[in-house]
Amino acid sequence: MSKEKLLSVKNLKTHFTVGNSIVKAVDGVSFDLEAGKTFAIVGESGSGKSITALSIMGLLPNNLASTDRGEIIFNNNNLINMEEKEMRKIRGNSISMIFQEPMTSLNPVYDLSFQISEVIMLHQNKNKKEARKIAIDMLDLVGIPEPQKRIDSFPHELSGGMRQRAMIAMALSCNPKILIADEPTTALDVTIQAQIIELMQELQKKLGMSIIFITHDLGVVSEISDHVMVMYLGNVMEIAETKELFNNPLHSYTKSLIDIAPQITEEKRKIKLLKGEIPSPINPPSGCVFRTRCPNPSHECKHGTSEMGLIEPKPGHFVDQCCYNCN
Amino acid sequence: MIEIKNLRKYFPIKGGFFNKNYGEVKAVENINFKIPEGEILGLVGESGSGKTTLGRSIIRLIEPSAGEILYNNNNIIDYSEKEMRKLRKEFQIIFQDPFASLDPRKKIFDIISQGLKIHTNLNKQEIYEKVLTIIKDVGLQEEHLNRYPHEFSGGQRQRIGIARSLVLDPKFIIADEPVSALDVTIQAQILNLILELKEKYSLTILFISHDLSVINQIADRVMVMYLGHIVEVAITKNLFSNPKHPYTKSLIETAPQIFRKNKNKILLKGDIPSPINPPSGCVFRTRCPNPSHECKEGKIEMGLIEVAPDHWVDQCCVNCN
Repeated sequence: MSKEKLLSVKNLKTHFTVGNSIVKAVDGVSFDLEAGKTFAIVGESGSGKSITALSIMGLLPNNLASTDRGEIIFNNNNLINMEEKEMRKIRGNSISMIFQEPMTSLNPVYDLSFQISEVIMLHQNKNKKEARKIAIDMLDLVGIPEPQKRIDSFPHELSGGMRQRAMIAMALSCNPKILIADEPTTALDVTIQAQIIELMQELQKKLGMSIIFITHDLGVVSEISDHVMVMYLGNVMEIAETKELFNNPLHSYTKSLIDIAPQITEEKRKIKLLKGEIPSPINPPSGCVFRTRCPNPSHECKHGTSEMGLIEPKPGHFVDQCCYNCN
Repeated sequence: MIEIKNLRKYFPIKGGFFNKNYGEVKAVENINFKIPEGEILGLVGESGSGKTTLGRSIIRLIEPSAGEILYNNNNIIDYSEKEMRKLRKEFQIIFQDPFASLDPRKKIFDIISQGLKIHTNLNKQEIYEKVLTIIKDVGLQEEHLNRYPHEFSGGQRQRIGIARSLVLDPKFIIADEPVSALDVTIQAQILNLILELKEKYSLTILFISHDLSVINQIADRVMVMYLGHIVEVAITKNLFSNPKHPYTKSLIETAPQIFRKNKNKILLKGDIPSPINPPSGCVFRTRCPNPSHECKEGKIEMGLIEVAPDHWVDQCCVNCN
């Protein structure tokens, strides 16, 4: 079995200066994305999922703190210190992204034809007519009925599900190697969510791209992904194959998330709890960042003297060493 | 405790010259149900199904177009505004968005105590004591009373919203998607809190949510709503183990699950139709995986029938399957 690494993130650190303090939004994240696979990033709000994605896309705000930012290796290039001009050739072309809110991420004053063709003309050297034809084919591919007519619609004329399909069409129109999907189904109803997830799986089979799928919903993770990374407060807690993670979680945070996730199949029971809330990234706990909520912290961990860092107790299953020892 | 009979709410669509009436949005159509005292009734449906309109119509925050609302056997539709205002303190709402539902310029104490100042004759000391008990019941501290909403996290704000709704000792609470905006760990904390307080304050709750798994955790009985109609009502356990309506089945099967047993899910095609121009006959027929011949032509009348004790399903879809 050949595991082709398409994208490799090594010790990624994205820190921001806010006033006089430094927010460590992403603090040492490493993972590999394999070709043709779906890699899910899961965590609560404020865990750094989206900033990890935006770091890969090079779409960060300009209040970055100057630290060693680590590496993002794609096609033997380090995206971190790439010139904006070069980055523009990659963004939207070989790596593209879809967002949570399809209403705000489409431009309300342009029709779909303009918005989708724009990407194609920019990256593929096509003229307007050819680009429009490709755009129609893309709309057809993502299951929008009557694409010849719909291509001239404006975003407000489409329903939420249709808008997300149009976003996907736009993102896939240059045949990217990597599609980053940041909570693409969170704003949608459950029946529409199921349609979009199925569509993404179909398209992956057809086009063979890798997907980085960001979500807070473990149920969605289990449906769509091959590998999962659990994040908490800018740090990686656990990385494993999806089945392995759910059947044999090693980190106490992962265990809590799985326990807490509401299930349809089980009968009503006492709802399990993880106490407290995610701490502020401006002043994270020393040592293990999870210790303030850990149900069973070790003595050293409680005092904030333990060091964080991933270990690999089983092949392909990584977990933070502190919490592995706590249990 | 509450009984709803033939409740309807149509919103007129107006515009143009002379403010002409162009049609109606049929948000809630002919709804009948009862909530016995002490029950948590779950109301589930997609966006646009009319859940929120129904919830607000019950306590006349939206004036229903037709129907009866019996509260302790009195029809409150006929109540004057003055009578209604007295009754208001027995009905409370917990809102979805804890960021939008608290006045950013008021301190927490003022937010919680406002109802007491309006509806009761308590003196300052009594009001303070009452607010203090409530704030501790929802898991916050006395020192929080002097802060402003922006100083709190989403979960804490939702606790404040709950405290505000409980301070007048209400009998009936409408919880309109109270945990949808929260992270899963916080969501579990709030659900637990609601269950605890329900016992402590002997509340009756209408719990509105689009999330079936949340409903499964909290509700005693569930109503499924689609395009203004109730399509299935049953005790929670029966609804999830033995759903009868194809829409309910599909909702249960398509909800993402960590440990899924049944891999072949029924995917519904298309979107929920517009309530301005709903399909004739059975409103679900445009998305039904297996409509009967008559149903396809829109000739079937809708209406709930009892297929098992306390398990009601829309008659059309019972026959389709």
